[in-house]
Amino acid sequence: MIYLYTNTKHKDAKSWIMKNDWYFNLNTGNQSFTEKEKHAIKKVDQAKLTEDKHIVTKYGVGTIRNLSSGCKTLLNILMNPDKVVNIDECGKNVLDIIFTMEDISIHMSRPERIAINEDKEILFNDTDLVIGKKGYENWWTSEYKRRDEEDDL
Amino acid sequence: MIYNEINFEASPFRYHLKYSTRITIVRGDSATGKTYLFDLLEDLKLTEAYQKIKLFNYKSDNFHELLADCRENFIVIDNADIMLNEEDRCFINFEKSNQYMLFLRNCDGINLSRDSFVILQEEEGIVSLKKEMVTA
Repeated sequence: MIYLYTNTKHKDAKSWIMKNDWYFNLNTGNQSFTEKEKHAIKKVDQAKLTEDKHIVTKYGVGTIRNLSSGCKTLLNILMNPDKVVNIDECGKNVLDIIFTMEDISIHMSRPERIAINEDKEILFNDTDLVIGKKGYENWWTSEYKRRDEEDDL
Repeated sequence: MIYNEINFEASPFRYHLKYSTRITIVRGDSATGKTYLFDLLEDLKLTEAYQKIKLFNYKSDNFHELLADCRENFIVIDNADIMLNEEDRCFINFEKSNQYMLFLRNCDGINLSRDSFVILQEEEGIVSLKKEMVTA
C-alpha cells in the first residue's frame, strides 16, 4: 500500500519532509547506508558510494550532499518510513521506483505519468483506496473536476 | 531576451545552452545535472559577460522579496517546485524585462509555449538544452 497525500491538511498530525535536500543534508545523510540504499544511489545517480560517504559520478568525486534531489528524496523515503515525503521534485525515473515500493507515505501536489502495477494499492488522503495505474489516473481526473467545480463557485 | 546563449567550459564538460523563449523550463529525469549546472552558474555569474545572472535555490534568504526586485536579469531558480508561490508565478508572467530558467515540474500558473520545455542533454562532453516532447 502507498499512502498518498495531495494536500497538507493533515500536516500537523504527521511528520513531513517537504524540503528533501535540506532534510537529507542535515539528517538522512548522517545515517548508515545499507546495500539497499547503495543500490538506489547507483540506480538513480549512477554514483558509486565509498566507505567514507563520498560519491564518484561522471561529474567527479563529491560527497553525498552532491546527490541529486530525486535521489535524496528516494533515500528520505527509504530511511524515514515514519514520515510523509514530498515527491514533487522527482523525475519520472525516480517516480517509477517510488511507485514500486510498499508501505510508504508520500506527498504529491499534482499528477505525473508513472508506471504503476495494475495491482498496486494506493490510498489517497487516508480516504480513497484505488488500485493500479487506472485507479490512480481516474482519481486525479476526478480531483481536477472537483477543483474546477470549486473554482466555479 | 537577456541571453540567447550561454556558453562556457567546465572540464570535463562544455556547455552550449541556447534559449528561444523568455521562460525556459528545465525538467526531465532526476540526476541529469540540473543542480550541477546551477552550481557552475554561481561561478559564471561573477564574470562580466554573465553578471545579469541571478540565482535562487532553497537556501536563498528573502527569496520572494528579492525576486520581486529583479529587473533585466537572467533568473535561474533551482528547487522551484518548493519555492514558487502564486505571487512569484504571476511576477514571472508579467515582469517581462527578466528572462528565466526554472528547474521546475509543476508549471501551473505560468504562461508557457511548447518551446519552453527542455531537458539537459550530455553527448560526448557537450551539454545542451534539448526541446522536450510535451503532450497535452
